[in-house]
Amino acid sequence: MFTLTFKVENQPLDIKCQVDAGENVLRAAQRAGIEIDAPCAGNGTCGKCRVRLISGALEMQPNPRLPYIDYEEMWRLACQSKVIGDAVVWVPATASAFKQDIATADLSSPEELARYEHAIQGIFSSGLSPSSSESCGIAIDIGTTTVAAALLDLKTCKVLSKASRGNGQIRYGADVINRIIQQMKPGGKERLQKAVREETIIPIMQTLLKDSGKSASDISRIVIAGNTTMEHLFIGADGDSIRLEPYVPEFLELTGVDANRAGLPVPPDSPVIFAPNVGSYVGGDITAGVLDTLMWNSDLMTLFIDLGTNGELVFGNSEYMLCCACSAGPAFEGGDISCGMRATTGAIDSVYINEDTLEPEYTLISGEKPLGLCGSGLIDIISELFRTGAVNSKGKFVRESPRIRYDEYGGNYIVAFASESGTGKDIELNEGDLDNFIRAKAAIFSAIRTMLKSLAMSVDDIDRVIIAGGIGSGINIEKAISIGMLPMIPTDKYSYIGNSSLTGACAMLLSDEAVEKVFDIGRNMTYIELSTEPGYMDEFLAACFLPHTDHRLFEQT
Amino acid sequence: MAFTRKPQVYSSSINEVTIGVGEKAVTFGGSNIMPLYTFDAPAKNKVAIGVEITDSGVDRTLPGIAAYYEGAETISEIAARAAEMPGADFVVLALNGADPNGDNRPVEECVEIAKQVADAIDVPLAIVGARNVEKDTALFTAISEALQGKNVLFVSAREEDYKTIAASAVMAYSNKISAESAVDINLAKQLNVLLSQMGIKPESYVMNVGAAAAGYGYDYVASTLDRVKDAALAQNDVMLQMPIITPVSQEAWAVKEAIVTEEDYPDWGDRETRGVDMEVCTAAAVIAGGSDAVILRHPQSVATISGLIADLM
Repeated sequence: MFTLTFKVENQPLDIKCQVDAGENVLRAAQRAGIEIDAPCAGNGTCGKCRVRLISGALEMQPNPRLPYIDYEEMWRLACQSKVIGDAVVWVPATASAFKQDIATADLSSPEELARYEHAIQGIFSSGLSPSSSESCGIAIDIGTTTVAAALLDLKTCKVLSKASRGNGQIRYGADVINRIIQQMKPGGKERLQKAVREETIIPIMQTLLKDSGKSASDISRIVIAGNTTMEHLFIGADGDSIRLEPYVPEFLELTGVDANRAGLPVPPDSPVIFAPNVGSYVGGDITAGVLDTLMWNSDLMTLFIDLGTNGELVFGNSEYMLCCACSAGPAFEGGDISCGMRATTGAIDSVYINEDTLEPEYTLISGEKPLGLCGSGLIDIISELFRTGAVNSKGKFVRESPRIRYDEYGGNYIVAFASESGTGKDIELNEGDLDNFIRAKAAIFSAIRTMLKSLAMSVDDIDRVIIAGGIGSGINIEKAISIGMLPMIPTDKYSYIGNSSLTGACAMLLSDEAVEKVFDIGRNMTYIELSTEPGYMDEFLAACFLPHTDHRLFEQT
Repeated sequence: MAFTRKPQVYSSSINEVTIGVGEKAVTFGGSNIMPLYTFDAPAKNKVAIGVEITDSGVDRTLPGIAAYYEGAETISEIAARAAEMPGADFVVLALNGADPNGDNRPVEECVEIAKQVADAIDVPLAIVGARNVEKDTALFTAISEALQGKNVLFVSAREEDYKTIAASAVMAYSNKISAESAVDINLAKQLNVLLSQMGIKPESYVMNVGAAAAGYGYDYVASTLDRVKDAALAQNDVMLQMPIITPVSQEAWAVKEAIVTEEDYPDWGDRETRGVDMEVCTAAAVIAGGSDAVILRHPQSVATISGLIADLM
C-alpha cells in the first residue's frame, strides 16, 4: 500500500488515500471524491485529466495528448498514470470544469430572452393555447454536456429565473455511449442518477428558486426534455437497450411520473412531464425543439439541425418529418479538441488569419484573455487555415511559419502564445483536433445528404435551415459552408434559435395543448437509423475532406 | 428495323502518362471508352504489362521462372532477360529486401541495384518500394536522383508519404509516381486532389486504387474500378481521370492458392499452375475493370495476358 496525496487547487485541505501498487490515479481520485473530468472515460484520448506530480513517482507511457515538454514539467494524465510508490499530486481547478456555472444557450442574454418570448408567442399564435395556472413551473433541458433550466410563472408566461450547469455525469464520459457503459457497471445506475439529479438538477432548482424568490411549494409542474439516453439515465432505465442492436430503447414515452417518483424536491404530486423520444438517438430534446421551430405548422421544407454533443437532424414540414442522428461527437461544444471549450468566458469565437503571415486575429465571447476555442471559433479557424493554405484538404499542415510547430504527431497551429493566453500555455490546434473536427463536420453533412437522398431530394430543395444547440449564435454560416459542414445554399436561408429544447420544454410547461402537440410530433416523425443506411459510410468518407471530395457541391455556379 | 449502332464514346478521356524515354517509352491511358469497349472507338493506348523482378532476383523455386531466367545470374542479366520477355512493355524492380522489418537492405545498395537494372534495359523502369513510409521516402528520393532523366515510375506514394515523394521524385527530378489508396473511390480521389494541390501535373502521376487477388475481396476492387471509370468518363471528374496501374503479382502470389505445396494439398495440383492461374484471372479482371497497366511476375502470365490484350484491344 502506498499513500497518494491530492492537493486540489483552491481547496485548503489535502486529501490522502491509501492505494495499491498499480492503481490508476484517475480511479483513485474518483474514489476519494475528487472531481476530475474524464470526457473520454479514462481511455487516454482526450488529454483533459491533467494533474501535476509534485513529489514521488507515477508510471505513465508517453501519450500524444501530453506533449513531451509538459511531461518534463511533471504533468501527467491521471487516467494513464499508475501508482508505483508514495506520491503527491496537484489537481488544477480546471480539472473539474463541469462544476463551474457555464452560460450557454440558456436564456441568459437579453437576445436569447427576446428569442424565447418570440418563440412562445409564435407557438401560441399557431393554434396552441396556454393552460393558465396560478402557480409556477420548471422546464429542464438535460443535455449530455450541459443542463439548463428556467422557472416560469405559468400565468404570465414570464421567465422568473434561469440557470445552467455542466452535467455532473461528464466525469463518467463525454458521450452517451460511455455513460451507458458506466451505467451498466455495478452501482452505475445509482451513480449516474445521483450525478445528474443530486449534483446537477437539484442545485440548479435551488438557484432557480433563490433567484426568483419562490419556494418549492410554488412549483406545480415540471417538464424535462433530454435525449433518449439522458431520460433513461435520469429515471434509472437500462441504457443498454439504446447502445445495443436492435437499438430499441426501454421507452419512447414516459408518462404518469410525479415529483415523488422523479425524486425532485417539489410537492410530491406535481406532474413531471418528459418530452417523448423518437428513437434511440433522437430524443425528447428534439421533439421539444421541433415544437419551437414551428416547422410543424409551415409549408416550407425546413432542415432543423441541433448541434449539441451529438448532431440531430429533422427535415420536413407540416405534412411529414424525417429525423436522424449522426455521431458527430462533442467537437462543436469544444469536446474532443485539445484546446476546445464551451461557448463561455475566454472562448475564442471568431478567427481571421492573414494569408501571408499566418498571424491570427480573434475575438472572445467575453473576458480579457483567451482560454480556448469554442465551436464557432473552431469552424472559423479551420476555415481560415484551409483558406490560407496552411492546411491541405485532409486537414494536414503544409506550410511553414513561426505559428506552426511540427512534432512527431504532425503540425500544431499556435492561436495564442503562452504570454497572451489566460492559461499560461500556448493555445494550439493540432492535427488530431483537425481530424476530429473534420469527422464531426463530415457526420453532419453526410447525414444531411443521406436523409435528403432517401427522399430523392437535394440540398436545393431546402427552403430554410434552422440551427440550434450549444454551438452558439456566433456561428459563421459562410465559414461553415466553406469547410463543407453545411450545404451551399444562400446564407439568408439559415437562422439560429439557441436552445430550442429548453424553449420547447417551456412551452410544454405553459400549455397542455403544446404537450399534446409534442407527443403528436414524436409519433409522426420517421426515424432513419443511419448506421444501417447503405450509402451513409460512403457519403461520410466523401465528406471527410475540405470542403468535400466532390468539390462541385461547394462551387459557385 | 435495322440495328443502329450507338457507340458509347465519352467526351472525357483518361489522362495520358508516359514512362521511360526514347522509342520504347510506354504511355498509359488516353482512352475515352469503357474498358475494352474497342468496338465503340479504338483505344488510345493498349494496356501495358510490367514484368516484376526483385532486388534479390527472381523466385527460382518455380520451374517456369527458373527456366526462363536460366543463365541470368547477376541483377543486370536478370533485368535484361525480363526486358526481353515476349509481351512485356516495361520492367518493375520491387525492392522487397529494403523492408526495415525484413532484410532492411540499405538505401545505397538499393540505389546501386536500381542503377544496374536501369543500365541493363532499354524499356521503361518502375520501382516498387518497401511499403514502409520512412524507407520509401528515402529510397524514392535517392533513386530519383540517381536515375535522373530516365523517367522512372515510383509505386507508390500514399497519403502518409505523398508530399515528400512527390516533391523529390516529380518536382525535383521529373519522374512519375503512382498514388495508392485502399480500395475506396473517395480516398483515391482525395489523394489525387492533394497531389494536384501541390502543383503536380496530371501527366505526372497514375493511381493504384488497390488490388486483391480474385476471391480475396475482389468484389470491392471491382466496384471501386467501376465507379472510378464511371466518374472519370461519364461524369468528367478530372480528379479521377488518372490512368490506373495494378500491381497484380504481389497480390496473386501471396494467397494460399499460390503458396501451399502440392505435397500438402495433392488435390490442388501443381503449385506453379495455381499461381499462374491466380495471376492471370486477377489481371484479366482488373483489365476488364479499367486498369491501364498491370504488373505480373510469371512469363506464362505475361504471355497469356498480352495475348488477351492483343485480341481484345
